[in-house]
Amino acid sequence: MPTKIEKDAISGQDTTGHEWDGLKELNTPLPKWWVYVFFACIAWAAGLCVLYPSIPYGRGYFHGLLGYSSRRNVDADVAKLVDQRKDSMDKIAAMPFDAIKADPALMEVALTSGRITFADNCQPCHGAGGGGNPGYPALAAGAWIWGGTLTDIQQTVTHGIRSADPDARNSAMPRFGADGTLKPAEIEAVADYVWATFYGHAEGKDVSAGAKIFAENCAACHGDQGQGNRDMGAPKLASKVHLYGDSREAIVHQVNLPRQGVMPNWGTRLSPGTIKAVSLYVHSLGGGE
Amino acid sequence: MSDHALAEPRVVYNDAVVKKFVVASLFWAIVAFLVGCYIAAELTWPALNLGLSFSNFGRLRPVHTSAAIFAFGGSALLGTSFYVVQRTCRARLFGGEALANFVFWGYQFFIVMAALSYVLGFSQSKEYAEPEWHLDLWLTVVWVCYLLIFLGTILKRSEPHIYVANWFYLAFIVTIAVLHIVNNAAIPISWYSAKSYSVYAGVQDALVQWWYGHNAVGFFLTAGFLGMMYYFIPKAAGRPVYSYRLSIVHFWTLIFLYIWAGPHHLHWTALPDWTQTVGMAFSIMLWMPSWGGMINGIMTLSGAWDKLRTDPGLRFSVTAVGFYGMSTFEGPVMSVREVNALSHYTDWTIGHVHSGALGWVAFIVFGSFYYLIPVLWNRKALYSVRLVAWHYWIATLGIVLYIVSMWVAGIMEGLMWRAYDKFGFLQYSFVESVVAIHPFFVIRLLGGVFFLIGGLMMVFNVFMTITSESTERPREPLIAPAMLAGA
Amino acid sequence: MENNVSDLIVGLMMAGFGLVGLFLVAGAADVEMYIFGICLSGFAVLFDLGLIKRYHDRRDESRATARGNTHV
Repeated sequence: MPTKIEKDAISGQDTTGHEWDGLKELNTPLPKWWVYVFFACIAWAAGLCVLYPSIPYGRGYFHGLLGYSSRRNVDADVAKLVDQRKDSMDKIAAMPFDAIKADPALMEVALTSGRITFADNCQPCHGAGGGGNPGYPALAAGAWIWGGTLTDIQQTVTHGIRSADPDARNSAMPRFGADGTLKPAEIEAVADYVWATFYGHAEGKDVSAGAKIFAENCAACHGDQGQGNRDMGAPKLASKVHLYGDSREAIVHQVNLPRQGVMPNWGTRLSPGTIKAVSLYVHSLGGGE
Repeated sequence: MSDHALAEPRVVYNDAVVKKFVVASLFWAIVAFLVGCYIAAELTWPALNLGLSFSNFGRLRPVHTSAAIFAFGGSALLGTSFYVVQRTCRARLFGGEALANFVFWGYQFFIVMAALSYVLGFSQSKEYAEPEWHLDLWLTVVWVCYLLIFLGTILKRSEPHIYVANWFYLAFIVTIAVLHIVNNAAIPISWYSAKSYSVYAGVQDALVQWWYGHNAVGFFLTAGFLGMMYYFIPKAAGRPVYSYRLSIVHFWTLIFLYIWAGPHHLHWTALPDWTQTVGMAFSIMLWMPSWGGMINGIMTLSGAWDKLRTDPGLRFSVTAVGFYGMSTFEGPVMSVREVNALSHYTDWTIGHVHSGALGWVAFIVFGSFYYLIPVLWNRKALYSVRLVAWHYWIATLGIVLYIVSMWVAGIMEGLMWRAYDKFGFLQYSFVESVVAIHPFFVIRLLGGVFFLIGGLMMVFNVFMTITSESTERPREPLIAPAMLAGA
Repeated sequence: MENNVSDLIVGLMMAGFGLVGLFLVAGAADVEMYIFGICLSGFAVLFDLGLIKRYHDRRDESRATARGNTHV
């Protein structure tokens, strides 16, 4: 196709003289403002490269005139915050719980720190406000397995439950069914007994066989009244709150093949002061002893 | 058509493959919008995950993104590129019918298999590059055939010059091939297993991934669709392209600068500071080259603005260019490290992506298709122009609801995450920010539903147009013989 | 002419992929590879059947044109 430059009547610009499927192009010069802004952006970009770390060479890189380092800035920001909290957190770490509770100003700091620590670390399992979830104890309900005093809570948070920590709280209910200690019929019988006696579903059934099995196998840890034993981490059975569910099936399952929940040892991650603060917060949720 | 075209021997174009791509693109559009709405609802009401592994958000999200980008956008790009390259080169597609059909069916096969593999839980965990190694290899075969057809057609053209739209399409095809191969380099654990490990590790892996990810945006979602714009806007407007010089300058600056901007996706990570600065510098320089395309698109309308009143299809294209300009300004702003400190990991990013994906990509496709479909199927006009106008308004409203709700949600999240109280403790926990943005998630879902309704209107309109009694178009004499050849 | 060469090359390539698909199914170590293999060989068979159909369609068409009958 021959080149045929035409004048566009509307814009007054020449075309380039080419045509494709009826499409033509004008030879309009670059808009001035476009060129200037483009150059300004290039200048800005060049400025960034001079001021900030930018050009790599060999094993190093040009660090920029400002000596900027995002890592150093973050460290400085964190250090500033730690500094701001330092006085109160040091006091919380050093003082006994009773003394902290007696100081309203310090207590306010402790509960503020405890609330956010709990929300970002504990809440995913234990639920908002310590409401609990199946398999994760309801902290607000006061059904403590390992004790609900401030020092008990501090100990549990620091070292965890069945965690890798040598001071972790450890308990292991035997696998009565899975290991063959009890026959299926015996498990059903003991479940009947627990269901009737401790869960309050008597319904006039004869549970004497189950009572005998309970006395021989379970009472040593869970107590003859199902009152539990905190030293051994044996849950209280005569309770309205049960960790793995309130159904009879849950009892059978737990006797047969007990679940053994794990809680991390937060001592490796949270400072002692923060752990005391979160203990005070958990204690304040309604279940504290 | 000018006189000389009739004097020369007629070229019989392969339009059959273009039609197939157009239909596939519309089908995948509905799939993408539907899945998008569903996962937006899952984010709002997590019970909709249904407790099944197949339907949880993590598996359905790549179905949505792949359906939108590669299935809907990709089919539109491949189809229009085949249409445009034949018309502007006055040459039939290189490689014969079978090769073109292989590219169509091979590409659709890739999409279906990829979606299936996501739902089954197979993923490379690389954003926009989720398919595992065997599917990557398959796509490579299809893509090389696509390149072969496109390049072959350009080489056998009977026009002396290569039209600007073809530069953009070619840049898109070549660069996507390079990006795809480099980012997906992986070693399978066995030839018979779909599991593989990337050859890169750690921060290098992240950098390669975002070099890929950002240029998937730059070359798939930008350069490719600019090619579409450069053909269909001047066609529909009946005006010459505003500036040839601008198209040259913005083409070369765009493709040169885009390829370096990826590191801005990794601000405030383990990526070295110097790499972050380079990514930010190139992103800022990219602003004007991106806007070059917008200027050329919008200024081509000068002298034909009145057509916007009568042609709602053109209204889609012009609005698309407007959204393109907005997102390519927002992008460089978000790439500045200090702004990114606020926006990173928030829903602002999601809003930004969708202003590009819905506002630019989907709208330019809608505009082009509303022009193309009557031409391809040899109809005088669409079934209903009023329905196009309705589609335009409901889709625009949907986009506005989407982006505004995500701006608010994103900035709120950014501010909540960095807020400290008077004692120096974090003011909000993460879950409190999730609770706070819940209403905006509902609004976002509403925007998505509007966009889906618009898409359904389009599908209905196109279906009625295609199945209506044939009303032969009086103009464009080259179209009729193409119908015969395409059978 | 171009179409016949194209048919041949693409047809052979797809036959090859069909075989690859069968091998993948035979050795599949996971469900994804199993499904992919089956679908790949099924796709290859259908595609090659399509090529054969189109070849005959084209021949019928050119015969009809030769007879002067444009309504195929």
